[in-house]
Amino acid sequence: MAAPAESSSFLGLGPGSRDPATVRRRSRGPRNRKKGWKRWAGPEARLGREIGDFLEDVVLQQRATGGLIAEQPDEGLFFVDTGNAEKDRQLNKGKEKPLHVDLVLQPDSKVPAPKNILAHQIPNGRKEKRRRQFWEKQAEKGVLPRAERRLRARLRRGGVPPEKAPEKGRSDPERGFYDIWAADNPLERALAGQDGWFLQQTKKQRVKRPARLRTKPSQVPAVEVIAAGGSYNPTFEDHQALLLQAHEVEVRKKRAEDKVEKQLKIPAGAELPTAETVFQEQCEGLLEESGDEEDGEQPAPPEDTPKTAPRREKKTEQQRRREKEARALATRRRREKAARCRRQELFRLRSLRLQVKRWEAELLRRRQARLAKRRAKDALPRRLGRLKYEDPSMEVQLSEELAESLRTLKPEGSVLRDRFKSLQKRNLIEPRERAKFKRRYRLKYVEKRAFREVTL
Amino acid sequence: MGGLEKKKYERGSATNYITRNRARKKLQLSLPDFRRLCILKGIYPHEPKHKKKVNKGSTAARTFYLLKDIKFLLHEPIVNKFREYKVFVRKLRKAYGKSEWSTVDRLKDNKPSYKLDHIVKERYPTFVDALRDLDDALSMCFLFSTFPRTGKCHVQTIQLCRRLAVEFLNYVIASRSLRKVFLSIKGIYYQAEVLGQPVTWITPYTFAHDHPTDVDYRVMATFTEFYTTLLGFVNFRLYHSLNLLYPPKIDGQADVELKPAEGKDYAMDSESYLEKLSALSASLARVVAPTHEDEVEMDEFPVEGETAEQMDTRKKEQEALEKHKKLFEGLRFFLNREVPREPLAFVIRSFGGQVSWDKSLCIGATYDVSDPSITHQIVDRPRVEQQVVGRYYLQPQWVFDSVNAKLCLPVADYFPGVLLPPHLSPFVTEQEGDYVPPEKLKLLAMQRGENPDEESEEEDGEEEEEDDDNEKEEEEEEDESEKEEEMKLKKMEEQKTQSDKALPVKVTAGKLRLEDRQRLEQEQQSEEKRLAIMMMKKREKYLYKKIMFGKKRKVREANKLAAKRKAHDTALKEEKKKSKKARRA
Repeated sequence: MAAPAESSSFLGLGPGSRDPATVRRRSRGPRNRKKGWKRWAGPEARLGREIGDFLEDVVLQQRATGGLIAEQPDEGLFFVDTGNAEKDRQLNKGKEKPLHVDLVLQPDSKVPAPKNILAHQIPNGRKEKRRRQFWEKQAEKGVLPRAERRLRARLRRGGVPPEKAPEKGRSDPERGFYDIWAADNPLERALAGQDGWFLQQTKKQRVKRPARLRTKPSQVPAVEVIAAGGSYNPTFEDHQALLLQAHEVEVRKKRAEDKVEKQLKIPAGAELPTAETVFQEQCEGLLEESGDEEDGEQPAPPEDTPKTAPRREKKTEQQRRREKEARALATRRRREKAARCRRQELFRLRSLRLQVKRWEAELLRRRQARLAKRRAKDALPRRLGRLKYEDPSMEVQLSEELAESLRTLKPEGSVLRDRFKSLQKRNLIEPRERAKFKRRYRLKYVEKRAFREVTL
Repeated sequence: MGGLEKKKYERGSATNYITRNRARKKLQLSLPDFRRLCILKGIYPHEPKHKKKVNKGSTAARTFYLLKDIKFLLHEPIVNKFREYKVFVRKLRKAYGKSEWSTVDRLKDNKPSYKLDHIVKERYPTFVDALRDLDDALSMCFLFSTFPRTGKCHVQTIQLCRRLAVEFLNYVIASRSLRKVFLSIKGIYYQAEVLGQPVTWITPYTFAHDHPTDVDYRVMATFTEFYTTLLGFVNFRLYHSLNLLYPPKIDGQADVELKPAEGKDYAMDSESYLEKLSALSASLARVVAPTHEDEVEMDEFPVEGETAEQMDTRKKEQEALEKHKKLFEGLRFFLNREVPREPLAFVIRSFGGQVSWDKSLCIGATYDVSDPSITHQIVDRPRVEQQVVGRYYLQPQWVFDSVNAKLCLPVADYFPGVLLPPHLSPFVTEQEGDYVPPEKLKLLAMQRGENPDEESEEEDGEEEEEDDDNEKEEEEEEDESEKEEEMKLKKMEEQKTQSDKALPVKVTAGKLRLEDRQRLEQEQQSEEKRLAIMMMKKREKYLYKKIMFGKKRKVREANKLAAKRKAHDTALKEEKKKSKKARRA
């Protein structure tokens, strides 16, 4: 029953209930938040606001009527309308009303605008005047200010010097060059004749380039001229030779492709999986129990008795002794034989020498083979990164593609690619594949209102 | 026993190498910056011998650098510039984001930039070092200068490449140092001899590119950035070695000729200068005006340990070279508009010829089609209407073939509409016993002056020697029998009598004796060789036979190829005949 009572405006019956009229309006919220710190909360704030409003009102009245309205006499505020509206209209018919725009733009303030003092007064006027007078006096003596002197000197030197546009860096097409290999080139002129130790310590001298960098990373020439068959008008044989080469490359490629194809193909005996076999495969483990039950009828696998190693009889003392003796005898014999052989080798010196020679020759051969292998590897492009270098496809024109004359020639391949591949081949840059563009988020399709697709 | 435990991977090759990522972190650079730095400084990755050791037991394929190289990179002032640039980009992006345009302008004005001059000096301490590495620089500059200016790379780079390439071409023309040209299906290969160093480069044909996508343009641009700096300095030095002004100025008279009529129609004033230079038709201004009487023959000092014969051959080579340089001197060419202008103008001019083209085709045309003094007109059409009497109409291949053959080839094979002889590669040098295509044989013969028309021009001695060489080659092809030496002797004697009869009587007595001595020496040598074979040990003889067998096999293969060729030729001929007949019928 308490709930309807509270919802109505009647006095509540609870212990903490108060008269709603007497309840002070709670100051804004808790003071532990920034929101509650507002300065103009409380009775003093109310007073302040009232004063503010009052003052504003006073200013407004002053602006509008030139004083407080309350202090004005009645005559100033009111008048008795004795006129006739009809008559007025007739009287004012000829006069043009000022435009509303003009009215709006007219200043409605009774306070006069402040005067612009600077319009009548020069800043630092006295100082400037004094300076002018000073320089006039100096000019009579023949002394001129510095700027003036410099200008005159420039005039005397011969006109205005042509202002050279500063170079825009290394790729400016108008940039100038100089003799960089001369004894006194501008590059080293600044440091010429200074103490080497001083330059080194003050880090003004450039670090010497290590001699190791002078060797090129590959012996391949920078510009490899295409084979004679690549002429725009080749001889028959050269063209055939080039075609053969290109053909071999293609065959190799084809073979590699075929190999992959073959490996991917289903072997001849195998059958394609049907839906049934796929299903069976999927429930391979699940159906096992039932299968087991069926198989339960079969006899259990034959129990295999664990095989143990055949136990040996214990050796007798005699046996042990004999074995020991036999062992000793064998060792002795071996040793004797070795000694005999060694003695005999004295007489085999010649053949031994031959053997050694042969062995050395073999070593030499191996070393040379190793060297040759390394040298052959040097000629090949190295593996410098994730990708291997791949030769560009050969530029070749088929017999029917060959041009009759220079005019009808259709160039094959691209010099740009050729240069790029050459750089890779010479180990100057590592072969790389183009970075793939990867979007982090999915694109959202938004139809702009301005360009909405027209659908009929 | 005792001491501290030796930890794995703390000594040896594991400490000599550093992975790319660690190197990058050590230098505090992003990967693109690191890559750029390595390219500019000429630091390349290494493949360690024992990868597993270096990789701390892992076998993953990684990119390794030598630790010492990276330590060397730490001293590079450009590294700081890279970091500054990174900060610059960040600031710029921020300013853009806030739309503070004044800040953007200020930042752009103070954009940090660096120069590569000191790296060029560091990597190429001498001028010759730079020349040896010029192949790459030239190829790259020529390639980039043909790129369209459409944002694949900076337009400024393309302009700079074009300027440097044109400057180099002008140097080659001025110094007459071009040696070989080869028109391949890929591009045009040139070889020049610059201060004794052979320099080879490739230029693409000036058709539209299809830009390959599997090429890292940033890497290529970085290489080009370095190579442009290098080529600029090399150009400067080369121009000064010839007393030419650098940046190149067109010679005064030619300039006056060019200026009034043209210039404005073609390009803006700022561009027309480069355009005129790239026309390759005007000669360059020199620091000191050349005086033609000044060309005194150099005194020759015999090099130690050089025999008279070597001196002689050297002298002859020198003479041949001089002759080659003046191949087109006195000839006036006119290029029709369908032939590639720049390569042809370059080649013709660098062998002393004069060249012009239609005025509307390009700036820098010096004479008109109607000029009666034109000796050769280069045409690439099946038929030419309105032929002018007094000049040859030739296909462009004639120019290139003549340069490679070192003589002006007979023009009959190169008339418009005629089936051209094959364009041989001048970069192929046949070994002894290799198959030589008949075209080349013909050319060699022509070089020796065996052609009845041109025979009397060549010097006798040279002819003799080269005859001998040729004879050897022929022999190799012909004889497969064991008694090679004897045959040679016999033939030589025959040749001797023959040549004595055939040659015009121009040989001095002294020279003849010298020839005799040589011959005697040769005879003796062959005799000694035969005896040596007889005295060989069994094993050595076996080896010798094997070698000889290999050589003979080569010869046999060459013969087989020749036979094939013959069959092919005859088949072609017959076909032609048939087609002709068919056409007639």
